[in-house]
Amino acid sequence: MNSENPIPIIPKGRPISWEDWLRGRRARRETGNRVAPEIIRRPRSSSDPRLRMLFNGERGLPFKKPS
Amino acid sequence: MTIAEIQRALADITAETDPTPKHFKLASLVSAVFRERGVELVVVGGSAIEFYTEGGYVSGDLDMCLVSPPRLDIRTRQELMGRLGARGGPRSWQVAGHFVDILGEVETLARTPFDELEAPYGPVRLVSPEDLLIERVLISVYPQRYEPAEQCARKLIAVALSGQVEMDWREVRRLAESPEYLILPVLETAVGEVAHELGKPNPYHS
Repeated sequence: MNSENPIPIIPKGRPISWEDWLRGRRARRETGNRVAPEIIRRPRSSSDPRLRMLFNGERGLPFKKPS
Repeated sequence: MTIAEIQRALADITAETDPTPKHFKLASLVSAVFRERGVELVVVGGSAIEFYTEGGYVSGDLDMCLVSPPRLDIRTRQELMGRLGARGGPRSWQVAGHFVDILGEVETLARTPFDELEAPYGPVRLVSPEDLLIERVLISVYPQRYEPAEQCARKLIAVALSGQVEMDWREVRRLAESPEYLILPVLETAVGEVAHELGKPNPYHS
């Protein structure tokens, strides 16, 4: 991390802490949303039967916006 | 980890309602239990994409592969997942309101190391963003156009160009040119488009 980029980068060659990874979530989501739809979860896959049974007809938990 | 520590971790993971942290807390716990037996795992697929992009991609299953040893007998897998109160097997289990799949030896061609997250129950290894990106670029066009993979690749390119994920662009190019992928023109087009849309320098234009 440096003073010009307060968003923690996911680095190469050293671990990222849980806190830094959480801190960067919102920025990464906003960046991705500039080039693709917000939710890109596949509409179906070979795992559908088991997923939809466990998640009330959905393929996983609903997404939450990171704070 | 003691049984009490595992129980506390499982309660925390079960109560977690945000799918992305839930995946990585669960990956952390599974990795810790396997690591105690000398087995190293790595997160692959949609969960790894979500780690880098927050892209709204991950579903209700966590995919992990073996790093070392490259094979693990069924009895040991069942025994280790049993410590977590898992149901099912021998390659897919239900744990803490999620599915965990352990898919066999990890496939990686990138020379870059696995990334690592210091998660609540111990380190989690993740397949490198270079491997993930080039795999998604290939899947986005072969055997036919596949939009979810294209969107994953675009988000991964975007966070890397924005300095939020460290990406070795030279290594991505090497992979794209390799006989295993042969996908360089598609990669260059995707990177060029995203760089243009974000107003960022294109790493393939020197």
